[in-house]
Amino acid sequence: MTPLPEWLRPGFAPGAAAPRRRRGSLRPLRRALAALEAVLSMLVSDSRDDRRTGLLRNADPRAKLLAGVVLIVAATLLHGLATLGLCLALAVGLAAAGRVRPVRIAAVLGASLALTTLVMAPATLDVVTPGAPVLTVARPGGGSLGPFRLPATVAVTGAGLAVAARMLLRTSACVTLALVLAATSRPQELLTGLRALGVPQAFVMVLTMTERYLAVLLRAAQELHLARLARSIGGIGVRREEAWAAAGIGAVFRRTRTLADAVTLAMIARGFTGEVRLLRPPRWRRLDWLVVTAAALAAVALVAADRGLA
Amino acid sequence: MSGTGGETVFAVADASFAYPAQTPCLEGVSFAVARGERLALVGANGSGKSTLLHLLDGLYFPASGSVSYLGQPLSEAALEAAPFGPRFRADVGFLFQNSDAQLFCPTVEDELAFGPLQMGWRQDEVERRIADTLTMLEIGKLRDRAPASLSAGEKKRVALASLLVLAPSVLLLDEPTGGLDPRSQSLLLEILDGLHGRGITLITATHDLTLLPHLADRVLVLSEEHRLVVDGTPENVLADTGVLLAVNLIHAHAHRHGRLVHSHPHQHVVAHEHAHDDEPGHGHDRLGDRKEPER
Repeated sequence: MTPLPEWLRPGFAPGAAAPRRRRGSLRPLRRALAALEAVLSMLVSDSRDDRRTGLLRNADPRAKLLAGVVLIVAATLLHGLATLGLCLALAVGLAAAGRVRPVRIAAVLGASLALTTLVMAPATLDVVTPGAPVLTVARPGGGSLGPFRLPATVAVTGAGLAVAARMLLRTSACVTLALVLAATSRPQELLTGLRALGVPQAFVMVLTMTERYLAVLLRAAQELHLARLARSIGGIGVRREEAWAAAGIGAVFRRTRTLADAVTLAMIARGFTGEVRLLRPPRWRRLDWLVVTAAALAAVALVAADRGLA
Repeated sequence: MSGTGGETVFAVADASFAYPAQTPCLEGVSFAVARGERLALVGANGSGKSTLLHLLDGLYFPASGSVSYLGQPLSEAALEAAPFGPRFRADVGFLFQNSDAQLFCPTVEDELAFGPLQMGWRQDEVERRIADTLTMLEIGKLRDRAPASLSAGEKKRVALASLLVLAPSVLLLDEPTGGLDPRSQSLLLEILDGLHGRGITLITATHDLTLLPHLADRVLVLSEEHRLVVDGTPENVLADTGVLLAVNLIHAHAHRHGRLVHSHPHQHVVAHEHAHDDEPGHGHDRLGDRKEPER
């Protein structure tokens, strides 16, 4: 047998480590990453919601899809903040009536708020959306920076805030409506509903595979994160942490590609032809007409009110 | 060359295969499998066992040579055409090495329903088969569970159930006992034994030689050069230590018993038995004659 290197023998004491510079703790960042992972897992699939009962749970997925699409289209047509707020309230009300867990609704609204704020922040400034200044955030003092002329002040404008608020309300309403659809139906039901509504098979197949792979991707990311934690002793500094995160993303994609290929082969091996089929196909009933009609009436009322208010 | 002389299920003729931009992982492999046979494919890691199972299941296609099922060459066109394609998919079940890849539905019931629904079977027939299969494999209590939340042994049984619900006549098993605890392993072996008793053809890829007597009546050995080097009974293959050493399925290393140090070829997980006399293949040494690593 090859002799063990000296450092691998029992009792070997490594020399004193070089003194390390004290670095900022990465614990908050790790906690944030873990929280993000948990939110993503919950958004992708939350079986606790599957076992609940409530309004919309028993509706045909085709009816829910039609109603959802009608309301989402209406939300995109609205301009007034009041009507957009009303639309968001309606979406949250539907989620509550569908007995979607409040924490899940809060997670979706929180994610919508964070992403929209990030994207729309520049639009609130007078350099993008001119208007009456509400709050001055910087004073570059005029002058120039290379070929660019700098403004004397940079301020948040009322018009900019209105644009951002409109986008935030619209996005939140649409995302909440999508959550209602996803949380009150099983993925296969929605996919078969899409097919029944005439969406091409290739498109539904891509969605089917995406739905399968999201879970695979999340699982791979979680495993990689745990493996990393198992070998972490102390902080390694933000730059190395960033390098690890970049390498980790690459590793996750390599692993998931392999696993995703295997999932595809396993599906083909059991006769998958591209069509999603359900064990208990839903039947269109009176409730479904009610859902579609109510959604259409609500959409018309919202748009009419928006035009009237405008 | 089929083992039992019955109807030929699979005929592999001079098949070679390579993954894109990689060296070949199967070279000139030829054999036939008869109805009802229990065949094991053994070889070291990377010898091409899993790839060969993928070829048999029509998931990959040989770069040269051919693979036929009941006389019909397996090709993409043949597998997409009815009635051969659906019949082949129902007839031949493939138990993947990684159960996580095989279980992709939200619940165990959906998992079992997936295959029959793809075949376009009636709902009542699908439900009857699901109930019977869950009972047969004693996994009825898992019916509404998410496959991801199951133990490795349970996942393997659910994966097997998802194949058996289609009533296949051939099962391709890729390292079926890998990663299972002893109880799950023996339960799975019992199930496979029962299935063989019902006439199902079993083709198992493994590198665990201890399983051969339980899993196979005929063994094909693949070399690290991806060629088929032996086709024989488990007894003959296990007795041929020269071949097993050459294909890296057993190893020879030195070990110590008191003051006696010797080496001989063997394959084991935890322990093995052997005599301490001067048997052929045993190199003996006294501890005093051997330089010990310094501590």
